[in-house]
Amino acid sequence: MSKGERTKTKSQSARDKIKAQQAAQRARDKRRKTVTYVTAGAVAVAAVGLGVWYAASISRSEEATGALAPVTVQPDGTAVMAQSGVTAPVVDIYEDFQCPACKELERVSGQTFKNLAAEGKAKVVYHPITIFSQEPTKSNSVRAGNAARCVADGKQWLAFHDLLFKNQPSETEEGFKVDQLKQWGKDAGVSSPDFDQCVTSNKNAEAHLAYSKKISDEQKLDHTPTVKLNGTEIDNQVLFSPSQLRDEITGAAK
Amino acid sequence: MAASLPLPWARSAIPWVTTVARLVLGGVLIAAGALKIGNPADSVVAVKAYQLLPESIAVAVGYALPIVEIVVGVLLVVGLLTRVAAVIAALLMFAFVFGIGWAWANGLRIDCGCFGGGGQLGVGQEPAYLLDILRDFGLVLLGAWAVRFPPGRFALDGALGLGGDTHDDDEGDH
Repeated sequence: MSKGERTKTKSQSARDKIKAQQAAQRARDKRRKTVTYVTAGAVAVAAVGLGVWYAASISRSEEATGALAPVTVQPDGTAVMAQSGVTAPVVDIYEDFQCPACKELERVSGQTFKNLAAEGKAKVVYHPITIFSQEPTKSNSVRAGNAARCVADGKQWLAFHDLLFKNQPSETEEGFKVDQLKQWGKDAGVSSPDFDQCVTSNKNAEAHLAYSKKISDEQKLDHTPTVKLNGTEIDNQVLFSPSQLRDEITGAAK
Repeated sequence: MAASLPLPWARSAIPWVTTVARLVLGGVLIAAGALKIGNPADSVVAVKAYQLLPESIAVAVGYALPIVEIVVGVLLVVGLLTRVAAVIAALLMFAFVFGIGWAWANGLRIDCGCFGGGGQLGVGQEPAYLLDILRDFGLVLLGAWAVRFPPGRFALDGALGLGGDTHDDDEGDH
């Protein structure tokens, strides 16, 4: 009887001990799990942060470094931006004022083209064209193209060009309306006396469409933006990465 | 007898279904992210094409989306933080369903940009909204399954003893 009780007590305390050990083990496990969980979470968040930082850094735009190179509007509606005497390398930019990817190109790499021209490292030629064939995008694009052709002064032309991209309308509704174009012309400091009348009459529309067709056929353009360096198309990946773009263009100058 | 027979079978199948759901959803996310990550500008244009978000937010989303897809996809494939990853994946897919539905309802003619590219469609190209929506909705369901029954077989969560309803040593507990 007494022997049985002793055994019972003994096993009771042993069981308590085991229980305590198990509790401690569970607490350790729990702590370990929490640490693992938090670590894995932190690594995942850090990976995302790193990726975003990387994406932002390859598409980081250049800063404006100073005065622009002189811009000359050509009779065919294109605009040449180059320091005097700089004839190579030639960077041809084919873009549509209504095309979102062109707007993105201007946002990301527009300043790089301006800087390179200003530094005398490239001759940049803007070719505004209309690539859209459906409404309302086609008419929007043509109105904007016409308006750009109404600007005679190069510096004003470039300022107007930048404003058009900045204020690009949605592709689903009528935009680049006549009144807006007149206003942006004013904002860009356009001084051509017949600018308003020229915008209203849309008088360059045909010339603009004819040039779009001609250059698209000649250069075999099937998408905008297309940017060619000495006649060879620059890869999209390079185009949208300002530092790579700079290397590519300055590399062609050597 | 006959009625109770499928039950244990179904119960042991659940973790395997989760594994399949994780692999499919994770694989799609990794592919979608990898195709976009090299060219953030494309991704920004694709996000902007939906005309849903204000300019600056669209840029940030365009930069972040590919890497988020890849990280969440990898977590799902290896089965780490399964439940959290599956919640994010399901929400992402739900957002895509909403975005594509929005584009459709508003008469936008865009590529969904799901696997790179994206933006306005050219002439003669037709949007495949219904197909995109069905695919992404199916992926939402897979995500929901993985949220309900994590982490499935072959999951790091199981091996590390992290949470989940179905990891192996739970079954031995009294």
